[in-house]
Amino acid sequence: MDTLVEKFLRPEKYPGTACRGCGLRVLHRQVLEAIDELQLGLADVVWGTGIGCTGRQTFATWKGDTFAGTHGRVYALATGLRLALPAEKRIVLTVGDGDAFTIGLLHLLNCARRNVDMTVIVGDNLGYQSTGGQYSMTTPQGSRTDSSPYGMWEQNLTQNGIDVLRIIKEAGATYVARHSVTEKRAPIESIKKALQNRGFSLVQLVYPCVTHFGAQALRTRDLKKIYQWFEERAVGPADQDSGTGFGCGVLHDASNARPEFSAALREHVNSVQRRSLSGESN
Amino acid sequence: MKRRFDTGNAAITEAAIFAGCRVFAGYPITPATEIAENMSRRLPEVGGYYVQAEDETAALHICNGASLGGLKAMTATSGPGYILFADPFGWALSSEIPVVIVNSQRVGPVSGITGAPGQGEFYLSRYLAHGGNYETIVLAPASVQEAFSLTAEAFYLSERFRTPVTLLADQMVTDGWETLSLPETPEDAEVLGVRTWNRQVHPGPEFYPATDEIDIPPVVIGHNTGGACSDWTPTAAGHDTEDVELQHKHAYRLIYKIRNHRELIDRFECYGLEDDPEIILVSYGTPSRVVKSAVNSARQRGIRAGGIRLISLWPFPDQIFNLPSRYLSVELNWDGQLVREVRRAASKAMSVHFLGKCGELPTGTELQDAIDAILKDQPRHTQSWKLEAW
Repeated sequence: MDTLVEKFLRPEKYPGTACRGCGLRVLHRQVLEAIDELQLGLADVVWGTGIGCTGRQTFATWKGDTFAGTHGRVYALATGLRLALPAEKRIVLTVGDGDAFTIGLLHLLNCARRNVDMTVIVGDNLGYQSTGGQYSMTTPQGSRTDSSPYGMWEQNLTQNGIDVLRIIKEAGATYVARHSVTEKRAPIESIKKALQNRGFSLVQLVYPCVTHFGAQALRTRDLKKIYQWFEERAVGPADQDSGTGFGCGVLHDASNARPEFSAALREHVNSVQRRSLSGESN
Repeated sequence: MKRRFDTGNAAITEAAIFAGCRVFAGYPITPATEIAENMSRRLPEVGGYYVQAEDETAALHICNGASLGGLKAMTATSGPGYILFADPFGWALSSEIPVVIVNSQRVGPVSGITGAPGQGEFYLSRYLAHGGNYETIVLAPASVQEAFSLTAEAFYLSERFRTPVTLLADQMVTDGWETLSLPETPEDAEVLGVRTWNRQVHPGPEFYPATDEIDIPPVVIGHNTGGACSDWTPTAAGHDTEDVELQHKHAYRLIYKIRNHRELIDRFECYGLEDDPEIILVSYGTPSRVVKSAVNSARQRGIRAGGIRLISLWPFPDQIFNLPSRYLSVELNWDGQLVREVRRAASKAMSVHFLGKCGELPTGTELQDAIDAILKDQPRHTQSWKLEAW
């Protein structure tokens, strides 16, 4: 067992239940490395999870305080939790593309609007893989999945000039980045930036699913070929609309530039209390 | 004791604050909007947080999250919002996180009529979460004063049982104006019958015992206890498991921590049951006030009538339906909900009847006519179509 695992993960939850070759292990490690490089400890981070491969496989792996929400709702849960936590506690959420960008998008956008201090790591395995491999709103068009046997035909949230991260940025998020986990160093740097933003941060990390996306869409279970496919698409936003890449990089960094939700609410409450102490009517 | 003339909505607000509620998240909906409005004004005064949520699912989840962090929280809604509570209600229930939910019932189905009273969520309040395998606590106020005491009690019970507790009110209770006594001292609180409960932080590492024990502090996230909290089937440490035996233990706990402590939950008002009553009228919430007058009038006319007013609806108090009498369930719905439980619980009943109405209360005359018809064994054919034999 290496030191990061020993330091941060519950031994009974390691090595976990992810499939052989799953990119989630790489992602999980990148988050831990970012936490470690910022010299944050178990007491500094509370870790929440959503539903799906990314959420379920990372739930209760964090040795510190940890919680799980229902599908797409952990953003609202974390908003309430934020009110009860001291400002210095970091909230990290590991969720999937379905959780964040489809079923939970309403709550996610409202967290971005409120600028609730949390770091959402969207582990994007390009589809609903825990239910057996159906297309999601990040599945590339044309992909064969269990629910698109003739090819994924619907407009998704990542192609043809539509980018879910731009929607999230416009909703008010203060840090937004996208990477492929195959990029090695860049995801860690972005997660570190996200954790340092006292506001709503989202880092989308595209990761390879071997069992479903690999086998169905890429027609191979060969790890080398699958990882290579992801590496080739780890290109900047300029190539995203041409359909050749994920559009990786930091899309928006307005860290600490806008009032954070719980801080603003505390300030509001304080001002009401000051007013009532000084006898002013509202 | 402070007295004022106010609404049920105000009573619920004041009771929540009295009980230590410091977070309210809600979404405006008639007829529960006033609770949100009152909370937005009152909470900042006591250092609490009002959050206007994007929908009711988020509203209750925000409350859940605040409670997960150790703050007492409440939300309030009516039918169309109540159904959106299904997901977060189930989360709180399975995660064993205390939270208080108010539903001011209006007329359904679905959007129905906004500003008139209904009682259509009797069963929904029992089965709001999917999957079964649980028991739940539901309280039903019949007056502004009772809205106050039961809201405070809802917090008290939710903390002791670490479970969501539902206050199933109706539009007339929440919108209605009455005299409201508010406690200023602990003695006042005792007179009004309201208690509070201060939460402890669960030290861990075993957060989910496989027993029916109560008064166990819930998991609180953010105190470095290593708490793991989720709606998954938990191991003792709170880790998720697919183990069938552990799931059985979890379900046992969710069911029997409540069923085995009925004495702390059961609340009802029985009257006129001492002299072998010919007929017993059963009700809860606002209709029970008309029912009480009708029972008194029937007594004056020489009929041995009795009444059962349910104050706690779930778990259903079967034990008080033990008399071999005729039962008439009076409810604010046309389909008959409470009557089904009465019929099930009253195994010695001579007959069970249902008088439904919705959007307005039954009148004293309607109730008198129903009593007379039932006692003449003519429940279905000669009287109003609203009266049915069950």
